[in-house]
Amino acid sequence: MNSQLERQVWFEETVALNDKAIIDSGFPWLEAMRTEAKESIRQLPIPNRKQEAWRYSRPEKLYEHAYFTPINPVTALDEDDIVSWVYPESESYHLVFANGFFVPGLSTLNLDKGKLHIGSLREALVTDPAAIANWFAQSQWHKSDIFTALNFALMNDGLYIYLPQDTRLDKPIEVAYLSFNLEQPVSAQLRSLLVLDAGAQASLIEHFISTGNSDYFASHVGELFLGQNAVLNHYRLQNESHQAHHLSRVSVRQHTASEYRSVNIAVGGAWSRADIQVRFTGPQATCDIEGVYTAGDEQYSDFHLDIQHDQPACRSRENFRGIIYGKGQAVFDGRILVAKDAQKTDALLTNKNLLLSEDAEVDTKPQLEIYADDVKCGHGTTVGRLDPDQIYYLRSRGITESVAQRMLSLGFAEQILEHTEDEQLHAAMARLISSQFAK
Amino acid sequence: MSTTTKDLQQLIEVGYEHGFVTDIDADTLPPGINEAVIREISARKQEPQWLLEWRLQAYHHWQGMREPNWAHFRTPQVDYQAISYYSAPKKVGDGPRSLDEVDPQLLETYNKLGIPLDEQKVLAGVAVDAVFDSVSVATTFKQTLREAGVIFCSISEAVREHPELVQQYLGKVVPYKDNFFAALNAAVFSDGTFVYVPEGVRCPMELSTYFRINAANTGQFERTLIIADKASSVSYLEGCTAPMRDQNQLHAAVVELIALDDASIKYSTVQNWYPGDAQGRGGIYNFVTKRGDCHGDRSHISWTQVETGSAITWKYPSCILRGDHSVGEFYSIAVTRGKQLADTGTKMIHLGRNTRSTIVSKGISAGEGQNVYRGLVRMSPRAENARNHTQCDSLLLGDKCGAHTFPYIESRQPSADVEHEATTSKISEDQLFYCRQRGLSEEQAVHMIVNGFCKEVLKTLPMEFAVEAQKLLNVTLEGAVG
Amino acid sequence: MLKITDLHVSVDGKPILKGLNLEVQTGEVHAIMGPNGSGKSTLAHVLAGREGYEVTRGSVIYQNQDLLELAIEQRAQEGLFLAMQYPVELPGVNNLTFLREAYNSLRRSRNEKDLDAVTFMKLVRELARQLELPDALLKRDVNSGFSGGEKKRNEILQLALLAPQLAILDETDSGLDIDALRIVASGVNALRSPERAMIVVTHYQRLLNYIEPDVVHVMIDGHIVRSGNKSLALELEDRGYGWISEEAVA
Repeated sequence: MNSQLERQVWFEETVALNDKAIIDSGFPWLEAMRTEAKESIRQLPIPNRKQEAWRYSRPEKLYEHAYFTPINPVTALDEDDIVSWVYPESESYHLVFANGFFVPGLSTLNLDKGKLHIGSLREALVTDPAAIANWFAQSQWHKSDIFTALNFALMNDGLYIYLPQDTRLDKPIEVAYLSFNLEQPVSAQLRSLLVLDAGAQASLIEHFISTGNSDYFASHVGELFLGQNAVLNHYRLQNESHQAHHLSRVSVRQHTASEYRSVNIAVGGAWSRADIQVRFTGPQATCDIEGVYTAGDEQYSDFHLDIQHDQPACRSRENFRGIIYGKGQAVFDGRILVAKDAQKTDALLTNKNLLLSEDAEVDTKPQLEIYADDVKCGHGTTVGRLDPDQIYYLRSRGITESVAQRMLSLGFAEQILEHTEDEQLHAAMARLISSQFAK
Repeated sequence: MSTTTKDLQQLIEVGYEHGFVTDIDADTLPPGINEAVIREISARKQEPQWLLEWRLQAYHHWQGMREPNWAHFRTPQVDYQAISYYSAPKKVGDGPRSLDEVDPQLLETYNKLGIPLDEQKVLAGVAVDAVFDSVSVATTFKQTLREAGVIFCSISEAVREHPELVQQYLGKVVPYKDNFFAALNAAVFSDGTFVYVPEGVRCPMELSTYFRINAANTGQFERTLIIADKASSVSYLEGCTAPMRDQNQLHAAVVELIALDDASIKYSTVQNWYPGDAQGRGGIYNFVTKRGDCHGDRSHISWTQVETGSAITWKYPSCILRGDHSVGEFYSIAVTRGKQLADTGTKMIHLGRNTRSTIVSKGISAGEGQNVYRGLVRMSPRAENARNHTQCDSLLLGDKCGAHTFPYIESRQPSADVEHEATTSKISEDQLFYCRQRGLSEEQAVHMIVNGFCKEVLKTLPMEFAVEAQKLLNVTLEGAVG
Repeated sequence: MLKITDLHVSVDGKPILKGLNLEVQTGEVHAIMGPNGSGKSTLAHVLAGREGYEVTRGSVIYQNQDLLELAIEQRAQEGLFLAMQYPVELPGVNNLTFLREAYNSLRRSRNEKDLDAVTFMKLVRELARQLELPDALLKRDVNSGFSGGEKKRNEILQLALLAPQLAILDETDSGLDIDALRIVASGVNALRSPERAMIVVTHYQRLLNYIEPDVVHVMIDGHIVRSGNKSLALELEDRGYGWISEEAVA
């Protein structure tokens, strides 16, 4: 166990050690915010048990050694290193980031058509600084969360997508965030910024992947802005190395009648956590966030959802399932807040967990905070085993117990995946989950 | 907001029918807490040395603790030096030997509250212990109980008469280190109820304690200890009221239940402390630690509570399911109106195999009331085949109140099943219209719907009190419709 | 093929089967009838190996082995099939995937290779056609959202597909309308063969109009109290179970 002081030192040293590797963006407003973020790192409390957000686990192993931001963009990669694409390049836009840098050689380029932009954030800062200045870090998350602050202090690049009004992309966007260790443990810190103007529609598939099986530190902060009537389908497939630390923060701002649909698959990481925050900035918006997580093999997997209904007549659905086996631990925290004037809110959260081993642990905490009366809100949570009757049924048909367990566990996950109609995408997610308890 | 809602909002006024003060000569310690005060309390009660030492240990521990500070909601400012920690009706002295020795004015007080202590008039089949401010003033039906072998007396008396039992169990379920208020209570507790049901005995009648805070600027720190020996059973009910006063008064009780093999304890509470006025002035701070230890195999502890009073309630009657096949239950109705805050729920700690727990929580928020369910269900690695089912429902009456649900579920046992479900609703215009179209007044309709909403919990109360609780609900919600 | 001797079985400490004897030869169809609670379904589940049934005395020999020693799936792999009264739903588990896994599990236990997907699909489709089971049900999750009749037909589909040596049908007729009953019965009849035995557990005689048994047993309170040919079933239909209980007691 590290002392509070050692943890504090780890944060400050991580910033200091990597200072030279951080490229000055050349924009005073951005560097001023970066300085602010560094200041936050000194001020904010280190995650500890007494903070409700860190009640069940803190990334203690992360503090055991230093992580280094690579100085040069990685170039020694080829197409074969990215095995996870759902669609070939003819059917989706491919973008690759490796260890925190954009890799143009492996990415679909020349996507700038007029104001539309899909590509590197750093490049977009040069071509369209005003737009980015308008949206960047609007969530202000770096002022309250030390890991977001650290991400800000250490990030060199990220993803930037801007779709002007009523744009409908012909193909989905697939982004691969690849992390792997070089001579030293790598810190890969990325941002993404998505802005969909009114009526724009897009599908985004993000892959968090690795080559090899090493202990790197990947963190990702995403900010998504959906204009009026905009529609975003967002798939996040987290398949990091089983030795790695993975932290993501996703902040979604939804304007009137926009639709955000998201599926989150998390199977990787020794320690992984994703915080998803939705704020409605106009009425009648809907969000539908689903996910499947698995944890075994001494893994820790964590989702924190924070859905705040500040506007009337919005609808939110959260539906997550977890499969915990071996020596795995999973944490799920799902909060729905309905503010005073958010009448006609319709919010429902469901979390179901399968606990498959004596050494596994699940901690789940759904929360409702409701300050308006004309609302339809609820949540439901279960933790349990596979139904013995179902196992019996399969075995009575000659299927061995272990195969029966596997079939039923995958069936349990399938009840989330089946909502994705696209067969290739569905199959890719199912593969990812079934790869976790092969045998 | 609809016009109906508006009209009804205007009807909201906080009435409290138990708000009178009894003018009685009381022996009250000056306000403040220090070692001398604790020694004085212990001396007045002629306590043995071990108990005084335990109190002092608790006090010293308490000095190093900080008040809990819940997120989101207002935390009360309590000046612990402004409270008097002991107040007793003067004439009572060492405690009455029989009802004849009880001050008639006290008896009248309890009559007014609907709790006659005179044995000819008492509720049939219910033995009552009345606690007035700091001390127990009367216990009825002692003789009948003694014949059955049941000990039912004030805890002060138990310390004198049955020191071995008290010493064996006091502070074992709720240690003084448990929390801020448990430590304070251990240091200064004045009186309370003690029940012991011997092996194999089914207690022949309902046991009941009636708590009344009367004196101004006093706190009430009672302590209840109930032990059900092997294969015994007991049903116990407590009720509480206090006069209307502008100042907040502190009630920090501790209740410990122990059920040995095959024993069962049913503990019901109708809490109607003074809630404060519509502006949120005055009212009781009800910070109570209640915990049951299902110590033996196949033991059973059931908590039922109807919480309508108090300015702020923090209370989580819990069960430690230690024995194999033991059962824990928590049934709760909490009503908040005016500016009341009820933060209540339970903890079900499953340690033994095949343990079962059920949680049913019904929160009703009206006016500017805030209702919180806060609970924990923990399945420990040993709790094979354990089961929990939790249902939390909130009903919102009006758009200024709040309903919140914070359950924690922790499982480390793959064969255990936990299910939690929560819903939030309001009484719909359609429901009201339907009832009124059939000739019911709006209030009748609301009462009907609220009673329906609470039915699952009300039916777990002993018959005599289910009716009373239902009445209390209706009175509480009078005009509080939106 | 199957020899049950003095079988005593308890559930939660409560005796259900109290010294049951039954012998079934290859090629025979036996019907077991009896009132509710007589232990018919318990017998079916004990033979399939369901947990929670405690055999306190007696033996079950199936094809010269001690059946009670075998795991649930081993029994299935040895050719014992139970068509269940309440087929369980398996949400998220695709019916075809399930059928294929079950089919290949049996093949693997015989050291045979898995059947290729194309041949398997042909086989299943043909069987489904015979049972008038819509193709769409094959693509759905196992039994999820199936009607009562569809569930039973899915059971018979598995029976046909897995082609067991001993088939036990537990109240297969319950909840079926007359058309579904006819389809299910003709599916079962198609599987009658000199190499295969069947035990048909039923409350009513109705099913036996369609599936004619060689032997009819009456089970009451955990015993077989009377055995006879199919006319016994008709007599039961006529007179109910009461007279047998009285005779059994007398």
